Amino acid sequence: MMNRLQATAPTKHLRVIALLTTILVAPLAGADLLITNARLVTGTDQGTLINASVRIADGLITAVDTTAVNLAATEIVDAAGAYVTTGFFDSATTVGTSEIGGGIKNRDYTVYDADIGPGFQVSLAINPYSSLLPMMRVQGVTRALVRPAAGNTNFAGQSALINLGDAQPMVTVETNAMFVDLREEATRYSGGSRAKAILDLLDSLDEAEIYANNTKAYQAGKLRKLRQSERDLRALVPVLRSQKPLALIIDRAADIETVIGQLQPYKLKLVLVGGREAWKVAEFLATRKIPVVINPMDNLPSNFDQLGARLDNAALLTKAGVTVALMTEDVYTETRSLVQGAGVAVAYGLDWDEAIKAITVNPAVIWGLPGYGSVAVGQRADLVIWNGDPLEVTSRPVKMMVDGSWVSMTTRQTLLRNRYADLKDTGVPFGYK
Amino acid sequence: MNTRYKVGRGWFIPLFFLSTFPLTSFAEHFDKNPFPSTYQPAAAPDTAITGAHILTGDGGEIESGYVIIRQGQITAIGAGQVPTSEAPVAQTIDGSGQWLTPGIIDVHSHLGNYPAPGYAAHSDGNEATSPVTAEVWTEHSVWPQDPQFPLALAGGVTTLQILPGSANLIGGRSVVLKNVSSRTVQGMKFPDAAYGLKMACGENPKRVYGSKGAGPSTRMGNVAGYRKAWIKAASYKAKWEKYDSDMVEFLATQGETDKDDKNAIKEPTRPDRDLELDTLAGVLAGEIRVHNHCYRADEMAQMIDISKEFGYQITSFQHAVEAYKIADLLADNGICSAMWADWTRFKLESFDGIDENIAMVDNAGACAIVHSDSPWGIQRLNQEAAKAMAAGNRMGMELSPAHAMRWLSLNPAKSLGIDDRTGSISPNKMADLVLWTADPFSVFSRAAKVMIDGVLVYDLSTGLKPVTDFELGLRVREL
Repeated sequence: MMNRLQATAPTKHLRVIALLTTILVAPLAGADLLITNARLVTGTDQGTLINASVRIADGLITAVDTTAVNLAATEIVDAAGAYVTTGFFDSATTVGTSEIGGGIKNRDYTVYDADIGPGFQVSLAINPYSSLLPMMRVQGVTRALVRPAAGNTNFAGQSALINLGDAQPMVTVETNAMFVDLREEATRYSGGSRAKAILDLLDSLDEAEIYANNTKAYQAGKLRKLRQSERDLRALVPVLRSQKPLALIIDRAADIETVIGQLQPYKLKLVLVGGREAWKVAEFLATRKIPVVINPMDNLPSNFDQLGARLDNAALLTKAGVTVALMTEDVYTETRSLVQGAGVAVAYGLDWDEAIKAITVNPAVIWGLPGYGSVAVGQRADLVIWNGDPLEVTSRPVKMMVDGSWVSMTTRQTLLRNRYADLKDTGVPFGYK
Repeated sequence: MNTRYKVGRGWFIPLFFLSTFPLTSFAEHFDKNPFPSTYQPAAAPDTAITGAHILTGDGGEIESGYVIIRQGQITAIGAGQVPTSEAPVAQTIDGSGQWLTPGIIDVHSHLGNYPAPGYAAHSDGNEATSPVTAEVWTEHSVWPQDPQFPLALAGGVTTLQILPGSANLIGGRSVVLKNVSSRTVQGMKFPDAAYGLKMACGENPKRVYGSKGAGPSTRMGNVAGYRKAWIKAASYKAKWEKYDSDMVEFLATQGETDKDDKNAIKEPTRPDRDLELDTLAGVLAGEIRVHNHCYRADEMAQMIDISKEFGYQITSFQHAVEAYKIADLLADNGICSAMWADWTRFKLESFDGIDENIAMVDNAGACAIVHSDSPWGIQRLNQEAAKAMAAGNRMGMELSPAHAMRWLSLNPAKSLGIDDRTGSISPNKMADLVLWTADPFSVFSRAAKVMIDGVLVYDLSTGLKPVTDFELGLRVREL
């Protein structure tokens, strides 16, 4: 944080770019790539390494060195002392399922008017060619959970994990978690009371257990009629078997305790999402090893579920031993504020390294993305070279890769910027620029 | 008829009358300030802030300097130590290692008229019952107990303009507030700040009224709506002006002519007052500032032509997401743009939003302002300015925090017409100041102390902050 001026002063910035020259050398033992002279934020017990190098081959990190560096590589990028981190992970966004926040019929993350709940699968609607994706990744984000949103039942459905590289497929895990919304604003889906929403959740799980244990009888029409469709029931089975987490969207402290208490007999893998008052029950969550996914910049008492919302939520939870991950949540800002949110959490007491973990390794563990989250041998090579402290609002990635491949830093926005960078009349209409 | 005529100072008195006739012959037709500010800063001890890294808000920077505050006003600012010639002060705040800036001014807020909690019962920002509601005044919707005010204060915001929403073509009057704890809105009103008028382009008005089966439902309907309103306003203004001139003539003949003289000039009939047109005519007379919500470049260019057609000045475009496309036009017309650092894609008319917008507007010599329009964003306007500065520098500009600070203080003060009293750290200005724990253009920095008129209203180290009535007894356990 002390080098903000260095990071943003144009001269320094140009120097960083100049030093980020790529040296192409003849391929030696295999086609691999080397980033040298990095201030390497490993996300492991090694912490941040100075003058480190990272070797990448076949999309994976094959070596991390701080001493003798073997310079044999097909491509060498000198980071010139700049920060290098794992690409960040937004733990809940709608990117890829919506082009515009409001005003158009383009919200594939939610179902308003059809009878489907747990069976809904947001991955089927994801558009890897959305022009939002490059805008999101140039903020240093390489991974995200695309969340469904409740629109007709408390069950929002199944989320997906995506990568933001140029290579396909973009969806890494089609259905990684089940989302259920039990907040004040979702009570309308259960007929009015949040107590009914909780009972519905328990009934759904019980039905799914009956279905799982009697699938053949169900399919032969020999089982009593179940309330949910087979698609919905089938989707709940991996949740019951703890193969996929149940993501509980809850803000109010009392509800967090009640719902988790009611779910205790089912022995599910639980994740708390939203959790604006989670800090009030931090010990309760820590004891039960339930991780929490929060929007670190939301401290408003926007409704009576959120009276206790505060900016040191991440810090208080982490201090109590809860695993925390960060999400942007908002539709219109997409993942563009993830890194700023991590910085704000630090300003409000979260340790800097813990903030990095909350947008790298913690979401990987919570949401189930093996092989991603730290800079270590064998990990996926999602790497970002920054022009300053990665959590600073003035910093940006200079160069970044997903699964070992550099990605373009051009976005719709950079093209617009370039078109209008000079407004002087040159006789050429802007449409030709 | 007994007409009470008093000295006036309103829009309905054309300037040439003032030079031709004695002032006492004119009238104040009605009270133009029926909800006057009752804000009185508390007594504050004379204070020196020493050793701070100062961004003055008008582009200046002092790496280590002092500010002297006496009776709520800045009386001196300088580099190094407080000169020995300076008279003693009651208290000294050691600002070493910290940064001092003017209080942040947000020209676009809905705090108080969309307060938290955000239930329908609290939705008081849009009088969405008619496309032109120039008659409403946003101060009548402001709830001073909105718990969002203290949160904005913790972000260093000392002054804010509350605007009506953008559902309407012409949404009503704005109000400028000091971010102080008060039982009444009047107790927050920035003394003698000019009123503003909120206008709105684009999607919102046409969506709101188009969906009601009424007009406007298109952008061309929007433009027709503005023009019809200004035609009415011009005619209303002319009616009062004629009344004034007729009255001058009448008064001039009083005592000279016989009451029974049939040719005597009759006392003119007073026009009917119209609350909506009072405000619009106030704009045409240059007394009320136009703050025009407008996203797209092409629409802003059309609004500029409308302002010329009817002879008013647009003070600012609000949001101005595409200002970068016409930054030259905005500079030529002396119009400020109040912008977000990076909001885009939340609606179709924001599709072309870019991170360099603020820097590009500034670079073209136009007036750039960082605004929030958000109860979240208002808590972090310093970070938003930092993002905009960094975006400009990435495209080769050399923007410093000292320069970018203008987007948060002096430029917004100018657009509100209060730059003679606040918006920079200069002698004789209000001591509206923020001491930051670190460079405010860092995400890790927080407001350490906030002063309004020299009164310490927020202190991170002691926990001093206003607590609204709403927040009392909610059983949110404080640690």
